[in-house]
Amino acid sequence: MATVFMKWLEQNPRDYDRGIRWLTLGQLDPLKEKIAREYVREGMRILEIGCGTGTLTMLMAGQGGTVSGIDASPTMLGEAQKKIGASAVGDHVTLTQMDATVIGGRFPPESFDLIVSTLVFSELPLEDQRCVLKACAGLLAPGGRLLIADEVIPSHPLIRPVYSLVRLPLVLLTWLMTRTTTHSLSDFDILLARAGFRPGIGASFLGGSLILYTADPAGRTPPGTEPPVAGHLRHRITLRAILVDLWALFFRIIPPYPKVRPGLYAVGNPTPDSPVLVTGNFDLTVRRLVQSIDGRLDAWVLVADSSGINVWCAAGGGYFTADKVIAAVRSSDVEKVVNHHALILPQLCANGVDGWRIRKETGWGVHWGPVRAADIPAYLAANRKKTDAMRRVRFPLKDRLEMVSVTVGFYGLLILVPVFLFWRSLLLPIAASLLGLSYFYAVVHPWLAGRDGLQKSIPLILIALAGLATYQMLGNAMPAPQIFHWAVGVTGLAFFTAAELQGMSPLMRGEQANWSREAVVGLALFGIYWLVPLAAGWR
Amino acid sequence: MGENPSLQSTMMEHLKLARVLGALEIRFDPDKCKGVRQCYAVCPVGCWTPDGEGRKIIFQYPERCIACGACVLQCPEHAIELR
Repeated sequence: MATVFMKWLEQNPRDYDRGIRWLTLGQLDPLKEKIAREYVREGMRILEIGCGTGTLTMLMAGQGGTVSGIDASPTMLGEAQKKIGASAVGDHVTLTQMDATVIGGRFPPESFDLIVSTLVFSELPLEDQRCVLKACAGLLAPGGRLLIADEVIPSHPLIRPVYSLVRLPLVLLTWLMTRTTTHSLSDFDILLARAGFRPGIGASFLGGSLILYTADPAGRTPPGTEPPVAGHLRHRITLRAILVDLWALFFRIIPPYPKVRPGLYAVGNPTPDSPVLVTGNFDLTVRRLVQSIDGRLDAWVLVADSSGINVWCAAGGGYFTADKVIAAVRSSDVEKVVNHHALILPQLCANGVDGWRIRKETGWGVHWGPVRAADIPAYLAANRKKTDAMRRVRFPLKDRLEMVSVTVGFYGLLILVPVFLFWRSLLLPIAASLLGLSYFYAVVHPWLAGRDGLQKSIPLILIALAGLATYQMLGNAMPAPQIFHWAVGVTGLAFFTAAELQGMSPLMRGEQANWSREAVVGLALFGIYWLVPLAAGWR
Repeated sequence: MGENPSLQSTMMEHLKLARVLGALEIRFDPDKCKGVRQCYAVCPVGCWTPDGEGRKIIFQYPERCIACGACVLQCPEHAIELR
């Protein structure tokens, strides 16, 4: 069930286009037409960063440009390919899946007359924005130009409150309908100037909240680059950390996920010889890593953008990739900070982060660290040698309790909120059954018969029904219809709790593997719940 | 809700994934293996064993496999498939 919810969170290209159109109040299409009409000339070599579903790509190719479109999302590119492949301009367009941050190494220098990017920079962390701008400066041929259209927080003091007032409900509605949202840039012209461009404004829409920046290379690199280190990380128990932990305990699968700004951080007092530990940018991940090493060793922590998701899930879902790590290496300038070329990656991101790509593109060595951050000090002390225990996932009681809490949070919202609203008298017994069954399952999980969640659900259902029978016999006799309802209820609860935890367990295949069977059992239970009272004449 | 194409396609995609994921199996071609043992370094459930006389790596515990795909991605010789 939770995975269905997670799947729903992933936007599809059609939703994305719809969402963006709403958020920009329909002004993005005129903006794109303006770009194609006024800036594209016959025969121009154009790089489009973040071509999305290819609307602007087609327009620019239609004006006679030869367009290389890149996008990080394969689904978006698939949609663009469908659109462009069927059109007359297909020969003038090349589409490639690529992260914006790696363009510097993938195209020859000075190979484009125009670089265009719409609504991409606002999605990038500041370090990556800098890195991409620097790469753009190198990719532009003499006389070339960079165009960036993006959402901007208006600078006018009177327009700003109106903007916030209109935007908040718009953002909420758009997210609910399409799971699409955007962020806004601020002070982008300063960043452009720092990256060596002469910034200008080509067009301004919606009261200055949607702006087309034009940027011409200034022909010289600006003096004074910023220090590469993003900050210091310490293990501290703060009120924020406690609140985030509490939220994450029950609701971590509900976005927005708490994130850490990607970049290079120091833990302890690292020197140029200190190890570089790579991780994702989920707040909990970074804090747990720092907690495991702070005070025990000095290290550099390179936080890569994993969309605020833990490394294993992010790598499995395509959010944490070799490109993200390469981007972190490039944009952090870690090379200037350390005198070695060894990255230590979490072993659990190996399902999605291609180590050989990183080795080939950056020249850095990739070493797969231990599964648990707690083993890092021992792993480093042993010269990056892992014991078998370090490379294996476990599912101890503490982790089982933590993961069950996540399912409790999800089902709590799904079941207890409607119960609270409509059947308030049942709230207490239903909440008690949900909590009791879930945590009981977490404790006895390893000893229940069965190899997967579905098989383990059978003994759990029997135990739940036995509990119900005991309650009935202890003198709390309920009439037959009520017993029936409770029996169906606890059976369903036990079944879904057991099946659900499979998706949270590192030792079994994803819960999705059972999903079709879960759906069948769910429907069957619902059928029984509906038909038996009819047949028995209770209703 | 049934009219919503994204919800419907989500469900269909999910059912397809369910069918595939349950049946995935590791296919290992020992002839392609050059013995870099990246599979051994990244397998979180201990399917691979590095010893064995003259052999580079053995896919010894197939029943432990959770189809995470780490060994497939990290094998430089493309000797491992998940089908």
